Amino acid sequence: MNDRDHLSISWHDTAWIPVLNQNNVLDYFSERSNPFYDRMCNNEIIKMQRLNTDQLQNMVGIEYVLLHVQEPILYVIRKQHRHSPTQASPLAHYYIIAGIVYQAPDLCSVVNSRLLNCVSSLQSAFDEASGYSKYSPSKGYFWQFKEKEEKEKLEQKEKKKKKEEPSSTFQRHRVDLLLGELGKKFPPPTMAPPPETVIKSEEGNKPEIKTEIKTERPDDKNPSSMKPPPEKKPKMMR
Amino acid sequence: MSEERVNRYEKIDFLGEGQFATVYKARDTKTDRIVAVKKIKIGTRAEAADGINRTALREIKLLQELEHANIIGLLDVFGQKSNISLVFDFMETDLEIIIKDTNIVLTPPHIKSYVLQTLLGLEYLHAHWILHRDMKPNNLLVNEQGVLKIGDFGLAKFFGSPSRPYSHQVVTRWYRCPELLYGARYYGTGVDIWAVGCILAELLIRVPLFPGDSDLDQLSRIFQVTGTPTTEDWPEMKALPDYIQFKEYPRQPLKDIFIAASEDLLEVLESMLCLDPLRRCTAKEGLQMNYFSNKPPPSCGSQLPQPGSNKIIPKEQERQKAGIKRKQPGDQGVLAKRLLF
Repeated sequence: MNDRDHLSISWHDTAWIPVLNQNNVLDYFSERSNPFYDRMCNNEIIKMQRLNTDQLQNMVGIEYVLLHVQEPILYVIRKQHRHSPTQASPLAHYYIIAGIVYQAPDLCSVVNSRLLNCVSSLQSAFDEASGYSKYSPSKGYFWQFKEKEEKEKLEQKEKKKKKEEPSSTFQRHRVDLLLGELGKKFPPPTMAPPPETVIKSEEGNKPEIKTEIKTERPDDKNPSSMKPPPEKKPKMMR
Repeated sequence: MSEERVNRYEKIDFLGEGQFATVYKARDTKTDRIVAVKKIKIGTRAEAADGINRTALREIKLLQELEHANIIGLLDVFGQKSNISLVFDFMETDLEIIIKDTNIVLTPPHIKSYVLQTLLGLEYLHAHWILHRDMKPNNLLVNEQGVLKIGDFGLAKFFGSPSRPYSHQVVTRWYRCPELLYGARYYGTGVDIWAVGCILAELLIRVPLFPGDSDLDQLSRIFQVTGTPTTEDWPEMKALPDYIQFKEYPRQPLKDIFIAASEDLLEVLESMLCLDPLRRCTAKEGLQMNYFSNKPPPSCGSQLPQPGSNKIIPKEQERQKAGIKRKQPGDQGVLAKRLLF
């Protein structure tokens, strides 16, 4: 597995999570199923030879050290290449948050990924924009948005209609029926609201109404009697 | 003549005492070379009755004909009164000391170097129809240049004569192979290879792999790792004199015991620790396995660890570390962030 793959995976062992502390977190990390742990490291040699972990400093090669601890939630482990007892160059960092192990991305992959994000957004913006630019011999270059907008609206509507599919017409009918019956059983108290507040509250409630419309749009065969109550209720509260 | 030879070696230091001999460090005044002089004990009157000590005789008989970089060199033999002394290459240390020295980290190249040298020596021995029969870390001597030499030929013997039964009470128990534990009287190079497998394992985990405290316990420890053999694993097993059926143990993957060992190394270990001696690899086959040609290359002699002289974390640094450790519990509440390195 290469480093790229390591940046998009995490690993944990639920049996360990409740007992994790700074003394055993390296043992947790060295579990055989942990994909981040390289078994051919010095830690494993020391462990196999039942030696003191201080001996790591006398060895040359790959090793893992506990770099930072913030009990009980965060541990940072560093993979490094040791050259001498005093010199080691870091290779990777791993952080364990709430028992889940992740590899910390290196600066290069962070910048890479952010740049790619920007470039890809820019690219799609240009692609979009180039679709609106038109040319005619008489006017030269010009922007034309209207046709597109209409087209898009149509497309969006189509999409939305497609999204409705999860509930069948039968289900929608049934729900509407039940709601209608409920509405009849508990008719909303009708009270004439004072004319002044109507306008204000209507303005204030606009977003709310919008959201309701959105949610109700799927059932466009809604009986018209059902709409007023939710609109009126908030008004009453005020 | 004999007097001359006695005076040729100047005693420098006392090195150790075994069951049959006392070993001194000495200087060869003729060549100004440091040597080890092994003075064989006379022993009891009964032992002395049939002449010179049997182990000494074996060593002299075999070693005089052998010459290999990874076999201890017998430089001279001389008698003095009723004593007999053997002069050997002087070896600084042995694998047992290295394995037990916790200041030494044995890296994969170190281990490869030791095993390679052992197998090269063993290949030479086996090619000359000699069984060592006492391979153990203590008998693998290492000198200052990092050259490993197989020593102590007190139990070594010519092999290959089909009609001559051998004693099965050979090889230190922890390194004794299953066929010997089952009382085999006719055996071959597999006994040495099994022991090398155990030594390789010990280099990896720094403790004996099968530290049995009786012959039966030894077998059960072996089977707890390899799994109890079936007739399929080892068809001739039931014909052995001391065969007994063992409890069924499942096989334990070597990967779980030797967690940091590479695949190619485990392959070598697996074929050396094969229960059926006929399927066990020979020294030659072992040397041809991928492990010895794959990376990393074995350490050259000068890079091999020397006990005692190994870099140890400076005392001051250690004290500082201890200081940090002592501070930690108090700091916990105050500092949310703490850098450990």
